[in-house]
Amino acid sequence: MRELIKGKILKNRYTLLLTVLSAYIAVVVIEGAITGRAPDWLRFDNSLFTLDLRDLDELSEIDFDF
Amino acid sequence: MDKFLFGQFQGLLKREVLEHRNLFIWAPVILGLLIFMIDFLVISSLDEDAKISFIENLARFFAGGSPLEMAPAFVFPTLPFLGILYICAILYLTNTLYQDRRELSVLFWQSMPVSNFQTVLSKLVAIMLIAPIFYVAVIFALYVIGILWLIISGLSYDIDVAGLGYMFLTATLSLPIVYLFTVTSALWLLPFIGWLLLFSAFANRTPLLWAIGALALILFLEGFIFRTQFISNWIETRSDIDNFLIVDYGGVFDRLFSYDMLIGLVVGSIFICGSVYMRRFVD
Repeated sequence: MRELIKGKILKNRYTLLLTVLSAYIAVVVIEGAITGRAPDWLRFDNSLFTLDLRDLDELSEIDFDF
Repeated sequence: MDKFLFGQFQGLLKREVLEHRNLFIWAPVILGLLIFMIDFLVISSLDEDAKISFIENLARFFAGGSPLEMAPAFVFPTLPFLGILYICAILYLTNTLYQDRRELSVLFWQSMPVSNFQTVLSKLVAIMLIAPIFYVAVIFALYVIGILWLIISGLSYDIDVAGLGYMFLTATLSLPIVYLFTVTSALWLLPFIGWLLLFSAFANRTPLLWAIGALALILFLEGFIFRTQFISNWIETRSDIDNFLIVDYGGVFDRLFSYDMLIGLVVGSIFICGSVYMRRFVD
């Protein structure tokens, strides 16, 4: 284990960065999959306003005349 | 912690404050002066009747009220200070480890009996616990000067200023909330703090660009290869201010002792651990 850490992970700054980022992605993805966090980029929900971009279908019907 | 270690850590914290006094001390002082000048100009431009009615209304509003219950009202006027604190924190975190390598002072510190872990920890403590103290101190000074000025003006117009005493108590009791809010939000945002520190320790130039670029690349790759949005969704919930805004004492415990806080601390620790090890690579 120590050999792996010293020989591979701590070989140079790039391998260390890749290891850290991989650990981060693994934790977030596994945690997200276990807790069933629903990915929803198109919905902005906070105390000030709620905006669901999927409800803005009528935007495509607007005819811009320049 | 024995006395030697404590002294060492105190020295590291003092170094951080002295090296970054522009971000820690002068930024809030200048903002405080600006706010005071704007307030002074606005109130000075009022005619005498408007001034009297303004001071009377303030005194009446706070007179007899419970300072503890009204304290949240004083959290919102501090938001400009918190905004500046966050901007200064981003600048500090992206530059602090990078600057050490650029100036080669990292070699000096590595020759001292101070570990990389202690150095990184001192930087975290400096921005998460020490910097907010200076900001809160400036806000307190602003309150003292402002309320003293109102009291002197009120007395000169022969107004009953007892309510302004309650106002001062309320303002003072809001300061621990502001401090706890900054500390709790720093813990909540520990993944972002760790991320910036990691790239500050990694990048040979433009660490902020590296931090933003790497994040954008990961988000793109996740969406492009796996067709999932776990990371983007996680970042979205983590950066939603509703999840860490605190306006009363009760909110602190709700935020501190939660599952989301715990997972944030775990992810933040991964990055911080990475930045500690990254300090061994000095070009």
